[in-house]
Amino acid sequence: MKHLTAVILGAVIALAAMSARAQLVIEITQGMDNPTPIAVVPFAWQGTGAPPEDAAQVIDADLARSGQFDPVDRGDMLARPSTQEQVFYRDWRAINSDYVLIGRVSVTGQVQMRIEYELFDVNRQARVLHGYEEGHVNEARMLSHRVADEVYETLTGIPGAFATRLLYVSVTRNPAGKDYYRLTLADADGARPIVLLESREPIMAPTWSPDGKHIAYVSFETSRPAIYRQELATGAREQLTNFRGLNGAPAWSPDGSTMAMVLSKDGNPDIYLMDLRSKQLTQVTRHYAIDTEPAWMPDGRSLMFTSDRGGRPQIYRYDLRSGATDRVTFEGSYNARARIAQDGRNMVMVHQSGGRFHIALQDLVSNRLQVLTSTELDESPSIAPNGSMVLYGTKSGDRGILAAVSVDGGVKFRLPVREGDVREPAWSPYLSR
Amino acid sequence: MRYVSKALLANGLALAVGPFCFLAAAQAQDYIDVEAERAAQAVNPSSSSAVQPAQSYPVTSYGIGSAPAAPAIQGESPPSPVGGGSGNAGQLLMKVQQLQQEVMRLNGMVEEQAHELRTLKAQSLERYIDLDRRLGLLAGGSGGLSPETAVEPADSAPTDEAAAPRSSPAAATSDAQPGEAQAYQAAYALVRNQQFNQAVTAFQQFLQDYPSGRFTPNAHYWLGELYLVASPTDAEAARQSFMLLLDMYPDDSKVPDALFKLGRIHYTKGNRERAREFLDRVISEYGSTNSAAVKLAQDFISENY
Repeated sequence: MKHLTAVILGAVIALAAMSARAQLVIEITQGMDNPTPIAVVPFAWQGTGAPPEDAAQVIDADLARSGQFDPVDRGDMLARPSTQEQVFYRDWRAINSDYVLIGRVSVTGQVQMRIEYELFDVNRQARVLHGYEEGHVNEARMLSHRVADEVYETLTGIPGAFATRLLYVSVTRNPAGKDYYRLTLADADGARPIVLLESREPIMAPTWSPDGKHIAYVSFETSRPAIYRQELATGAREQLTNFRGLNGAPAWSPDGSTMAMVLSKDGNPDIYLMDLRSKQLTQVTRHYAIDTEPAWMPDGRSLMFTSDRGGRPQIYRYDLRSGATDRVTFEGSYNARARIAQDGRNMVMVHQSGGRFHIALQDLVSNRLQVLTSTELDESPSIAPNGSMVLYGTKSGDRGILAAVSVDGGVKFRLPVREGDVREPAWSPYLSR
Repeated sequence: MRYVSKALLANGLALAVGPFCFLAAAQAQDYIDVEAERAAQAVNPSSSSAVQPAQSYPVTSYGIGSAPAAPAIQGESPPSPVGGGSGNAGQLLMKVQQLQQEVMRLNGMVEEQAHELRTLKAQSLERYIDLDRRLGLLAGGSGGLSPETAVEPADSAPTDEAAAPRSSPAAATSDAQPGEAQAYQAAYALVRNQQFNQAVTAFQQFLQDYPSGRFTPNAHYWLGELYLVASPTDAEAARQSFMLLLDMYPDDSKVPDALFKLGRIHYTKGNRERAREFLDRVISEYGSTNSAAVKLAQDFISENY
């Protein structure tokens, strides 16, 4: 019993600490019609003092945010088992929970944290998943997200993307002088924000390397735009470009060796490729129209980009081997800033219909287009590494916020920010441990 | 100085394409930052207003369509590109820009028309196959069908208001149950052999055996079709089969076809308004898809309304 009080107390402290720290707060605005009920029982804490993190709370929130699960309220739980022997299925059938997740948390040698977990199917009365996650105690939330990933994959068949991170740019308006721009790195749930770069000049177009270890972005800190590459672990920075005119929209090739970018050094914005080892440039598009916003197909053989060579911005595909350019979008008067899911089939983009800017998804096989969002002025879509959700920037009132929508349009949530405008989210790839 | 002019050029183009300013000009506007802050401010209000005219694409009057863009460019690019810039150079630049815009718009038209052609080709092929199938069905004879079996599903099938359980489609597994595929293929073979009345019986049996199988929506659809060609025809049973498909499998690929069929059934019954509702639904809900039903519905409306 003492044990239990400690867990609850720990939960309260962890929650309080989390909300004070978190810059982004998630509000689910639309869930699925029939989310699966699951009980995430508070994990037993096998240590002294307060647990470093309420792992169950993190997992609970992850599953809820996916919109596919409806976690049971802790107050409704008839029991709080932490071992298989303590699980009685009737307790969970009584509150209509289809699944039960239990777990135990311990810390050895002050720093090594271990989360053991077991997932039970109430209807089949069987344990369907068990395992553990181990890591530094500072990574307690990340370890919890990994447990959520495992649970999500077991129950949906799709790998989870909770243990991933986000980059975004926030702008604090300063009426008296220049605005503040911040490039922020946060967990996929918006927690643990870290400011990577702060500047009085604009920061734009953050993007990830395919291994998730580097990022690139455009910064105006030298008073003109330049592309920078930064190693996340060390913070080491390298300025990749310093050409006259536009230096923008960096996009790493899937093999990590090349970066596509937009340069206007020869007059008009065109797409170039930079070999990241030799820094050698190759011009890809050569057109007096504006060619911008390159995005790689996952096979690395072609690039999608936005061009107004047809009079209006539309998405085109450039085949790197044949050099052929084909128009991809035909619906609507405006389609821009494509991002491709890892399956190479779903493309998300900014789509204008009826004077409003929405996020739309185009199936590149059937070419069917689906408008996903109902908000206005939506911009900068970024797709989760598992292809399930799209994060994008939109307006709430007169402030820029981040919002997310599932690729079927069924689940929506917002990540409003406490202060300032947030824009240009970039969802990380899967991160290695 | 030179890249200020580049910025102006980029902004001028962005202005001409209207909504593109949302991203491209926003970028361009940012990158000229200090040097051309003033210029960007001059461009910005006018570029946001350019969103409106750009929405109506002047396909029919493309010769005139470029006219409004000209003063805007004149206003934006003072004769700066070569430094002090004489009027001639400025005019030349303007002409080049106009020509580029003209080519871009023509390019866009060619792209869109090529796409339209490809789509039409694919659609006409689909329609041909569909027509061929229908003709084949019509040419087929009529078997001996006992009236009971024809009426039976009409009694047992819930009407559209009876709201067939909504959860059942979710429960329907994507995997075919053992034997289901064979049973479906056997019933479908009867359709191909134009043994319509036997096919009706086979599909009714199929639905009893596999009420929530992988081919269940198809079976409902085929029953609807079959009631219209079996002898005697039973439009009411057909209507109920199609409604059942709509209610239980609103996302099924056969839905647009079923909607079109419902429109025709109501039209045949003399209920023009109700018929029109279904036909309009086909166009409004599936107009953006490649469904052959859209064209059929459009043709039907233009012929009969």
